[in-house]
Amino acid sequence: MQVFLQTLIGGVTFGAVYALVAMGFSIVYRTMGLVNFAHGSVVMIGAYAASTFYMATHVPFAIAIVVAIAVTGLIGLVIERFLRPLENKDFTLMLIGTIGFGAVLEAGAVLVWGATGHAVPSPVATEPLDLAGVRIPTYNLVVISVAALATGLLALFLQRTKRGAAMQAVAMDHQAATAVGIHVGRSNAMAFAIGAGLAALAGSLIGPMLYVNPTMGGTLGIKGFAAAMLGGFGSMPGAIVGGVAFGLLDAFAAGNFQEYSELVTFLVFAVVVMIRPTGIFGEATVNRA
Amino acid sequence: MFSRRISIAAVALLALAACAPPGQSAESGAGATGPIKIANVNAQSGQLSSLGQWEHKGVKLAIEEANKAGGINGRQIQLDLFDSQGDPTVGTNVARKISAEGYIAMLGTAESAVTLAMAPILKDAKIPNITSGQSPKLAELKSPFLFLNAPTSVTFDETLAKYLIDDKGYKKIALISNNGAYGSGEHDAFLAALKSRSVTPVADEVVTPDQKDFNSNLAKIREQGPEVLFIGAEEVQSGLIAKQSRELGIKSIFAGGAPMGTDVYADTAGLKNAEGSVVSSPYLSNEASDQIKAFAAKYKAAYNEEARMHVAKAYDGASIMIEALKQTNGEGGQKLADAIRGVKRAGLLGDYTYDANGVGIHATKIGLVKDGKVVPEVAS
Repeated sequence: MQVFLQTLIGGVTFGAVYALVAMGFSIVYRTMGLVNFAHGSVVMIGAYAASTFYMATHVPFAIAIVVAIAVTGLIGLVIERFLRPLENKDFTLMLIGTIGFGAVLEAGAVLVWGATGHAVPSPVATEPLDLAGVRIPTYNLVVISVAALATGLLALFLQRTKRGAAMQAVAMDHQAATAVGIHVGRSNAMAFAIGAGLAALAGSLIGPMLYVNPTMGGTLGIKGFAAAMLGGFGSMPGAIVGGVAFGLLDAFAAGNFQEYSELVTFLVFAVVVMIRPTGIFGEATVNRA
Repeated sequence: MFSRRISIAAVALLALAACAPPGQSAESGAGATGPIKIANVNAQSGQLSSLGQWEHKGVKLAIEEANKAGGINGRQIQLDLFDSQGDPTVGTNVARKISAEGYIAMLGTAESAVTLAMAPILKDAKIPNITSGQSPKLAELKSPFLFLNAPTSVTFDETLAKYLIDDKGYKKIALISNNGAYGSGEHDAFLAALKSRSVTPVADEVVTPDQKDFNSNLAKIREQGPEVLFIGAEEVQSGLIAKQSRELGIKSIFAGGAPMGTDVYADTAGLKNAEGSVVSSPYLSNEASDQIKAFAAKYKAAYNEEARMHVAKAYDGASIMIEALKQTNGEGGQKLADAIRGVKRAGLLGDYTYDANGVGIHATKIGLVKDGKVVPEVAS
């Protein structure tokens, strides 16, 4: 029982981070029909931006996260601006463009921060909570609550604000949205910026739990992408459920299948996607090509 | 007009010369006079690039010193760097490239998996290779052209088991290791050392090299209440395992090989969590001997950063290569391999005497991590 609960703690914490990454993938996909392959690298830039600012200035970690979100949001805007001329013209080229941006960001990180990487001291220095032998590091609780808060704010934005509603409209039918006077380009730019901001949040939160280096985005990107697929690509609730489900799957596979855990995780993932190609929250796929 | 025609002809000639097939431009053999071409293959990008960059700095330092001192009997050494990206597939491509381009020897790589992939090609091409890999599988290849600049995991873990069990009397020992080339080598070697002492581990968890969340594996280990937790993984992963272990309330002593003697391990784990970790390594610290102190000072002057084991063993390997080249007068192939095997050197990592499997160092020392630095443990 203790092993089960302890595994649950780890799974949910990493799942919350995967959910944030998956939401970033999804918000861009539902608005533009585009998979942003640079997303993993943006997570890495976010982790670097937050940890570097945090360790250099000793400001509260929350402020460092806000700075990281601003920095990567800007990167998101730049990527969208570069891709905009291709929108509705050459979809494949846009896709390759995002892969290229990912490589550029990784190489840029090596130039700026070097290849070695750095460890980030935990911003919450209290002892882990002990609940009947199950230990919960306080920082894990911070990660889970911040992720939940961000998810709530995003849902409010999409459903309750005019801009959010406009983004929803573009996601549903961009031609009709244009007809009623919604600026599709601006809506896309915002999707990219929000996606990048979510990536930064995920990166900055996971930084103190891992080791920040230029290649850390690879695994996080792939697992976040798989989480988005699992939940239903483009669906926001799907991203959350997919993220947590993937985190749990990963954690329990590690305990039960040892070195074959990765194999088992992705095998289960493949089977689920084969049975339900549209993921758990099977939203109709957006196809804008 | 006339002069213009001449210049066109000259340009054409130059272009022709530039088109000479690779490998022919550099002369090799005893009578050659051009520079001696040595390849340094190491990861300069990717997850393991920090290792690759340290290794390259160590190699470069040794070669530059040799060149300044007159090179190999008057000939300079030309050191060229190739990026293996820490990827075995890239490694095999590089191996073909260096054999096609006339390199007579290779230094690197820092990853056992990459070296294992390159070894058959280098053996066929008769290019001696001094690697920084430590996997026992390297020695098992018994390639006459492959040499290690450090002990294998067998030596690391035998010394560790001797200290933990024979000297300290610990009996409840748990293992956690990854299934990569380095981790599985550590796992097998430590398990064999335990077996020879009739100790059965209370837990034996295997993780993947990419794994970041060890809650599940560590919770199972915690149930057994081990006195010692052996960690067989690279620097960052060892650090993460140590950190998460303490978060879970595991009070065991951490023990492992060279990765746990690095600052990357101590920083990732957190200084408090890394405190007291037992490290088995041939190179414990920059203050271990006068020879090492002098080397560390020289390294700091050249690169303005602290020396470490990876730098030192790359330097040792390059120095052995230089010594062997002096004996063959710059000739490569079988002759160079035999010369390397004959080199006896009091290096930074210990006394090198190569055996038939290409292993040169046969002992490590025990150190304890204190404040993020390794302090030699006085034999009790």
